Amino acid sequence: MSGTLPIPVIQFLQVATVGLAAPGVSGVTARVEARLQGRAGPRVLQPYYDLAKLLRKEALAPEGSSWVFLVAPFAAAACYLTVPLLIPVLTSFGLPLGYMGDILGGGLILALASFAVSVAASETGSPYAQLGASRAKTFGAITEPVVLFVIFVVALVTGTDLPYALAATVRSSASQIVRPAHLLAAAALFMVILYETGRIPVETHTGTNEFGMIEEARPFEHSGPYFALLKWGSSMKQLILYTILINVFVAPWGLSATAQAPAVALAIVALLGKAVLLGVVVAVIDNSFAKLRLFKITEFAAAAFLLAVLGVFTLYLGGG
Amino acid sequence: MSALAGAAAAVAAPSVYSGGSSVIALGVLLAEFGMFRQALLRDQVRLYAAQSGLISVLAILVAAVRHLPDLYVLAALSAALKVVVVPIVLRRLLRGVGRGGEDDPATGWTEIAGSGSLGLANTVLLAIAVAAFGFFAVRALGIRSAVLPPAALEISLSVALVAFVLMIMRRDVASQAIGFLSLENGISLAALVVAAGLPLILEVAFLFDLLVAVVVFELLIRVHHGRAESLSTADLTSLRG
Repeated sequence: MSGTLPIPVIQFLQVATVGLAAPGVSGVTARVEARLQGRAGPRVLQPYYDLAKLLRKEALAPEGSSWVFLVAPFAAAACYLTVPLLIPVLTSFGLPLGYMGDILGGGLILALASFAVSVAASETGSPYAQLGASRAKTFGAITEPVVLFVIFVVALVTGTDLPYALAATVRSSASQIVRPAHLLAAAALFMVILYETGRIPVETHTGTNEFGMIEEARPFEHSGPYFALLKWGSSMKQLILYTILINVFVAPWGLSATAQAPAVALAIVALLGKAVLLGVVVAVIDNSFAKLRLFKITEFAAAAFLLAVLGVFTLYLGGG
Repeated sequence: MSALAGAAAAVAAPSVYSGGSSVIALGVLLAEFGMFRQALLRDQVRLYAAQSGLISVLAILVAAVRHLPDLYVLAALSAALKVVVVPIVLRRLLRGVGRGGEDDPATGWTEIAGSGSLGLANTVLLAIAVAAFGFFAVRALGIRSAVLPPAALEISLSVALVAFVLMIMRRDVASQAIGFLSLENGISLAALVVAAGLPLILEVAFLFDLLVAVVVFELLIRVHHGRAESLSTADLTSLRG
């Protein structure tokens, strides 16, 4: 057939889609959020302009910082570019490299990226970046159990922990969608994503100096191309997490079932459409809730933990 | 469907009906957990009304799917009583006593007095452990129901146990009363699972027991407020020998 793409090209397209579209998804979300607040808001393409500007600028490193400080942005970006190989971004059938790692593997790589950024932040000696790094790791430790229980739910539902398998299970019948364990796990994962992407019940993401900052405080000392890489990395992280929630848990439809070029193109459009839709939902949440005080974040994590644990209970005991 | 789905060790999905009814039952449990978070009595009353509404919805679902027309009457009565009458009575009651010392003068609504012995996150973790006990205990009994999935019965005991935790963790009479009433919601959920086919007259009689409880609690709240000038039960600890 003429329109069939070679599998390695699709594999590459998965990474390229996430890498290139991630700032755009952030841009649309920022625009929608501004509109909901009655502001005109930045251009949708603003994140790209920001990145281009930062790439042209001079890079400075704090005195006394070592090579770790400079390597971390590259390590983080490399991690974020690896994860799209493992998750169903465009195709509903597993691509060859998709079996390199399961959900735990993907989670591990995401955690490695966050670890690299945190180490670089504590390298700087700046109290603010260090505060962010320490908070990110502290709250990371209490959201980790939630992710683990979500993975237990996936494992109990599918018998494996491959993201492709769960997406196929969800597509298979309506009873898989309304089963309580699935709904609870998806809700718990959504709450974790709100935390991981630094959204409103947990922190404000607008990037101004603020006392309650967690993730946003970490790259404070980076500048120029290094800062651009970190910003790009955090928007990629957001799109990756959205993709996991959408294409594995909530709406794994619109994925390409074949290697045909039109189907793959449609899958790209569908993914971006769904991601923007999720971004709008997140923006609405941003505008309708107040930020939690720092010490109330444990309550947010406890609520997510409750959902994930109840998911495992209903599966394990009630056949839910 | 790809060969990936339906791997060997998977837990089979329940039918859409039993999945959906379990979700509603879980909503009842989540409302119970949500009560931990409420800081105003008004919000807690609202949450109680929502929780009672969910039980009526579940009763209507069972009635429609399992062809038990009695349950429609029960659902309507239960909704009228627990979603409308009891919350109104509670609100009026709280407005009456809310003019005491420690309440917010602007609204007349009293804040909930927590026990202060455990933070919210720890309380939720404790309640999760208690709910887990409920799940495992009912599971061990092996009760099968003709109308609802076994998960609903397990959830109903968890609701009752979590309501106990709520009552223990609160220090004011009014929110203890709401805890007790939501405990009754757990029991009606259990009744729906075990005895959906019970004669209507018995079910209605149980429902009116609730009214007695409301009257008793009203008396308790009024007497306590009259004596202590507050809703908090902290003063009562001095009665210990």
